[in-house]
Amino acid sequence: MTDVQDIEAVTTQVKIDGQPDQKTRKYDRQLRLWAASGQSALENARILAISATATSTSILKNLVLPGIGHFTILDPQQVTPQDAGNNFFLEGQNSIGKSRAKEATRLLAELNEDVNSAADERSLEEILESETGREWIKEFTLIIAHNLEKGLLDRLAKLLWEDAKSPTLVVVRSAGFLAEFYIQFHEHTIIDSHSDSTPSLRIDKPFPALLDYALSLDFDKMDPTDHGHVPYVYILVRALEEWKKTHDGKPPQAYSDKKAFKASILSKKFKQDEENFDEAEAQAYRTWSVTGVPSEIQALFKDPLSPSSAANAATPLTPDSPPFFHLLDALRRFTEKEPFVLPLTSTLPDMKANTESYIHLQKLYKKRSEEERDVIRELVKETGGEVDDATLDLFVRNAHAVKVMRGKRWGVLDESEEALGNAVDPSGKPLSIHLALSALSEITAKQISPLTVEAVTKEAQTILPKGKELPEDWDNIVGEMHVFSPTADLPNTAAFLGGMVAQEVIKMITRQYIPIDGYCTADLIETWTGILLA
Amino acid sequence: MSQTTVDATSGDWEGRYDHIDQVLNTAGPRTDPGFLAGDGVKDFLRNQAKILVIGAGGLGCEILANLALTGFKDIHVIDMDTIDISNLNRQFLFRPKDVGKPKATCAAEFIMNRVPGVKVTPYFGKIQDKDEEYYMQFNLVICGLDSVEARRWMSATLVNMVDPENPESLKPLIDGGTEGFKGQARVILPSITSCYECSLDMLNKPTAFPICTIANTPRLPEHCIEWASVLEWPKVQGDKKLDTDDPEHIGWLYQVASARAKEFKIEGVTWSLTQGVVKNIIPAIASTNAIIAGMSACCNEAFKIATSSAAYLNNYFMLIGTEGVYSYTFEHEKRDDCPVCGGESLDLTISKDLTVEQIIELLVERQDIQIKKPSLATPTSQIYLQAPPQLEQATRPNLSKKVSELVAEDGEVTVTSTSLPFSLSLRIHYN
Repeated sequence: MTDVQDIEAVTTQVKIDGQPDQKTRKYDRQLRLWAASGQSALENARILAISATATSTSILKNLVLPGIGHFTILDPQQVTPQDAGNNFFLEGQNSIGKSRAKEATRLLAELNEDVNSAADERSLEEILESETGREWIKEFTLIIAHNLEKGLLDRLAKLLWEDAKSPTLVVVRSAGFLAEFYIQFHEHTIIDSHSDSTPSLRIDKPFPALLDYALSLDFDKMDPTDHGHVPYVYILVRALEEWKKTHDGKPPQAYSDKKAFKASILSKKFKQDEENFDEAEAQAYRTWSVTGVPSEIQALFKDPLSPSSAANAATPLTPDSPPFFHLLDALRRFTEKEPFVLPLTSTLPDMKANTESYIHLQKLYKKRSEEERDVIRELVKETGGEVDDATLDLFVRNAHAVKVMRGKRWGVLDESEEALGNAVDPSGKPLSIHLALSALSEITAKQISPLTVEAVTKEAQTILPKGKELPEDWDNIVGEMHVFSPTADLPNTAAFLGGMVAQEVIKMITRQYIPIDGYCTADLIETWTGILLA
Repeated sequence: MSQTTVDATSGDWEGRYDHIDQVLNTAGPRTDPGFLAGDGVKDFLRNQAKILVIGAGGLGCEILANLALTGFKDIHVIDMDTIDISNLNRQFLFRPKDVGKPKATCAAEFIMNRVPGVKVTPYFGKIQDKDEEYYMQFNLVICGLDSVEARRWMSATLVNMVDPENPESLKPLIDGGTEGFKGQARVILPSITSCYECSLDMLNKPTAFPICTIANTPRLPEHCIEWASVLEWPKVQGDKKLDTDDPEHIGWLYQVASARAKEFKIEGVTWSLTQGVVKNIIPAIASTNAIIAGMSACCNEAFKIATSSAAYLNNYFMLIGTEGVYSYTFEHEKRDDCPVCGGESLDLTISKDLTVEQIIELLVERQDIQIKKPSLATPTSQIYLQAPPQLEQATRPNLSKKVSELVAEDGEVTVTSTSLPFSLSLRIHYN
């Protein structure tokens, strides 16, 4: 719920009577997911789609609807009768013979008047030839390439990999019921990962104002109604403090201790039906599970590729480093001091309490959380970082779940025997799909015909390191692809990929949620998806 | 490029289905043995199959477009809603000028304009308006609904229709649903696989706030909004029905909730949250709908079932796209005590002191039952009936009686509700 409240605060542009404006109403169902910050990122993004296949237009549809800033379709081809039959963004026989880029752009643009668009009838080959062409391509935020011919794809991928600031490349390949997609990026940082995990309330390490207030309460002399409404946080902080007095300053540790501790909480009840004491008992683990820095966050502090101000840092933090790394470094220094924890959360879960005591507790947390946020702000200043308040707030609120992802160049997997050998794929199926699609694109590039199962298998074997056998599921996969058409862009596969790829693109652009790590493969015959970690 | 010749009756042109024909012309290694490649399957798909799509919303729009491109030519669609501005971020068959028009009609027109030769027959109304004879005409039913009640009704209706003597009476049901970056789809073969009712306990329990919290100890902005809608609206507005689609009504709730929040120093009541709470809004985006419609629910499964070109989903697919892409397929099993397809009564053990009123509360709250306003009867007598008013009045005194006074150990109680097309049979035990 807290997530939603935060979103509301930033997204709802209230008119006089309180009703949100037209645009907020149109995007209401998605703003509840990625808020105004995500929406603004989408609106500032420029997408290039190479070719207007059924799959490409399906992906674009799912980006135009939520309001991407701009899209260009690059496609020199004319609409064929086959295209007109399988692409929803062509007008049947009326589009046949016309520019595929123009027809698809026109029909996609019509989906959302807020989106800017362009049709470009040049070929990618022509663009990659010239310096101006190569510069032009780098002006996009993200490029989507579906079933692009191998030679061109490799050139494009290498060009974009040369400079870490170049657009993200999304490679999409499909044949019949089989599909795969991959995101080429250098580094992707996420502050708002929308993690399901909740930050610690620090009941085991109560901040002074919380401890003082909890100890000031006199449970025995309380009015019975108030007694039944003391928030469990106070009950636990107090019970833990009392326990520690008689147990060498330590929280309950042995199983019998924990049981005794829980019993002591319940024994404080005036009446059987005091639910706040039941809640305290249920939450008692919070007193003995030690609040520290989660291991994932500690790993980020130690990552040699992350700029850091630590004396032995592999990559030094400079004022020019991205704000994210100034924040991460400030967080590291914050956690190195007493009490060795992440900054306090300002959001409390709901709990049995009367309004007054709950709001009071909420204020204690909020005040402390703001103080700790201010400490982080000062720490950021020390390294010369510049971070706006909204980003700072967001970072502090998500400090337990921030992420850094590092990617690889497209093609590395197939070029390196080591990478293929190390690919993590317990079932064998993702690797089969990947190899089948790679072999298919090799064969198509070499113009080998007829396309037989044997030819594809032979090609796949040359991609695999010597001595490594084809995965278990190979025969099914290759048979499927060969028989079921190497060139079929099926409407359902296109629709499915359109959704999958658009979801990933949205995650990359908004820098929210967590995108795929590796190759996402799919087999629509078995209604199956799987990741090839490589 | 030369002028393309279009067949006047089918609307087809040479090459139109080349992509799809690649998978229909020959059998693959995993093709169902019953698959007859070639012209027969194409003829069935394009000239004989009749498909019903329920819901022309987020999933419905995707399903209709996919079915049309796949080659289904006779599609029917039912939807009782009209188009709202908040639909436009994903329901891509509608434009701003269509706001206020019926979804079913608009969607049908759009598909027929875009995909020549496809006939889409819309019905602007409720699924409950139609009888078994109507549902009998289809080969397959695909649901893209956001209502649990409608799904239960449809699933139960199709299970009831199954006549073991007549194989044609078994209508496969494909059901899909999405929420944000997550989605699920399943194939139900009525009476053979688990039905919608069998899996009722998998649904998330809706958040319910206790009335005493709302009335006396609000802590969250949601508590203030519930106070405005549940307690203040009927008190101040009398018999006027709350219309959650009316901006003036939402505006009123927003103001009342804001005032209460201010009084209690609670932060966070906004227009959008007010709307979200009272309408129980579920976040929705085009991409997730496209995945579910494209992959499982819907169209790929429909295509596979209709053509037997590949084994279809057995029987439940779940997708989570918030952290990478994670999907999971499993076989959801039939429940022997499913009130719709199980045949056995549900055993219920209760205290001897439980009153009729309490057992009704229990039934409403049970996650695997979820029945609204149930009426109760034994094979020989009425225990409590919600309607008509005379009978309600006559049976009302029973509410405060103990169940054990009315039903013997191991006795049977039949539970019915107007919202459901089936009755639930309970076997009562006392502890």
